[in-house]
Amino acid sequence: MLAVDMTGDAVKAKNGSMVAYDGTMIFKKLTGGGEGIRGMVTRRLTNERMTVMEVKGHGTCWFADYATEISLVHLQGEKLYVESSNLLCTDAGLRTGTTFTGLRGATQGNGIFTTTVEGTGQAALISDGPAVILRVTKQNPLTVDPGAYVAHQGKLKQSFQSGVTFRTLMGEGGGEAFQIRFEGEGLVYVQPSERNTIAGDV
Amino acid sequence: MSTPVIFDPMTLPSDDNVNAFTFCVELTGSQWFLQKGKMIAYYGRIDFNGIGHGRLERLVRTSFHSPLHASDWVVAEGTGKMLLADRAFDVNSYDLEDGNLTIRSGNLLAFQPSLSLKQSIVPGFLTLIGTGKFVAVSSGPVVFMEPPIRVDPQALVGWADCPSPCHHYDHQYMSGVIGGLRALTGIGGTSGEEHQFEFVGAGTVLLQSSESLMAETATGALPQQDGVPGARGGEGGQGSQGSSGHRGQPGQRGQQTQGPRLPGQLGDLQRRFGL
Repeated sequence: MLAVDMTGDAVKAKNGSMVAYDGTMIFKKLTGGGEGIRGMVTRRLTNERMTVMEVKGHGTCWFADYATEISLVHLQGEKLYVESSNLLCTDAGLRTGTTFTGLRGATQGNGIFTTTVEGTGQAALISDGPAVILRVTKQNPLTVDPGAYVAHQGKLKQSFQSGVTFRTLMGEGGGEAFQIRFEGEGLVYVQPSERNTIAGDV
Repeated sequence: MSTPVIFDPMTLPSDDNVNAFTFCVELTGSQWFLQKGKMIAYYGRIDFNGIGHGRLERLVRTSFHSPLHASDWVVAEGTGKMLLADRAFDVNSYDLEDGNLTIRSGNLLAFQPSLSLKQSIVPGFLTLIGTGKFVAVSSGPVVFMEPPIRVDPQALVGWADCPSPCHHYDHQYMSGVIGGLRALTGIGGTSGEEHQFEFVGAGTVLLQSSESLMAETATGALPQQDGVPGARGGEGGQGSQGSSGHRGQPGQRGQQTQGPRLPGQLGDLQRRFGL
């Protein structure tokens, strides 16, 4: 559960995620993720849908979604890449957008586009179980299961790794046929649970 | 809210929990068995190979004796640190020292090859024998109990060093005509606790603090052979369904496929009352 104190400012949150508030709050649905017509069209086209509301007012507002765990991310001008389904709430000052992620998304079953959050402020991520934050450095590249990936930030290059071999086709695969490899400098958020992905059973 | 902890390969624990739901295994050229698809992330160079891989034959021969489960398990080998997790369930590691432990097959996540894995004669359970570490998941924290104890079948995770359990039925509640009717129809209320597993002897029983079961991984079929409990072809029956199926009723095998059990029916208990 996330508590947000507000004094006249606003946050963007996943539609319907408010569970309680005190004080005065105004909830306004933002069509197309609150990114204007262009953002709306992009989201439609990329299937990276996000129904967002704007909450404005004075007081405290509590957000929660399916008893999932919440991690807060402080952003200072960096860009955070997150799956739209894992984004709960952002400061209104943060810009959200859509970006192409390549093959990684395809294996996740979440489409090949992802959401970006940019600017200065805080964003709240939701994950099934508490997210583990892993640092990636030049010496220590990280490999992640697509189903457990939640978000990443920093200067990271992601590449798609496939271990599909003749054995996979024979049903004797290693169970980890698709992986994403992160190289560079940054942080990766993973959840202790795997979404159902097309790669999950391979 | 507290500042989040950021892990890197140096700060990640070695063969220990990162948090209650994530476990970190350090590989230094060594091997671990793990259930397919439970790796969530890793640093370093680690290869995952299905069991049945030619090169691993020696390893499999010495520490993996469960052909039924072979397709659900992989061997991780290489150098680095690997994070394991399963559907955001609680994860714990246990050390066995020249011991034996039997665990529900869906709950076992990973183990060191110094342990050897065998199929328990109780359907749906696996036995680990030897010395080493293994990782198990449970829905809610695990509670350790000592026999003699009767436990709810759904709360049972496994048991160590004690003889295999037997079924226990609460006959006092279920006896007589009314009891039989209750068992059959559910009218009058069944408490849902008439059937337990009973443990006697010395050892430890592991219970989870919730009655929701891990989704059972496909366990394949048990060999259709006389004297093999739960060998009902195709289902690889488990717990109450599997072994209460044909107690002392040879020759009834053909009638076992009856369709789904009705909610009021308790195992094949009603047979006892001649119903």
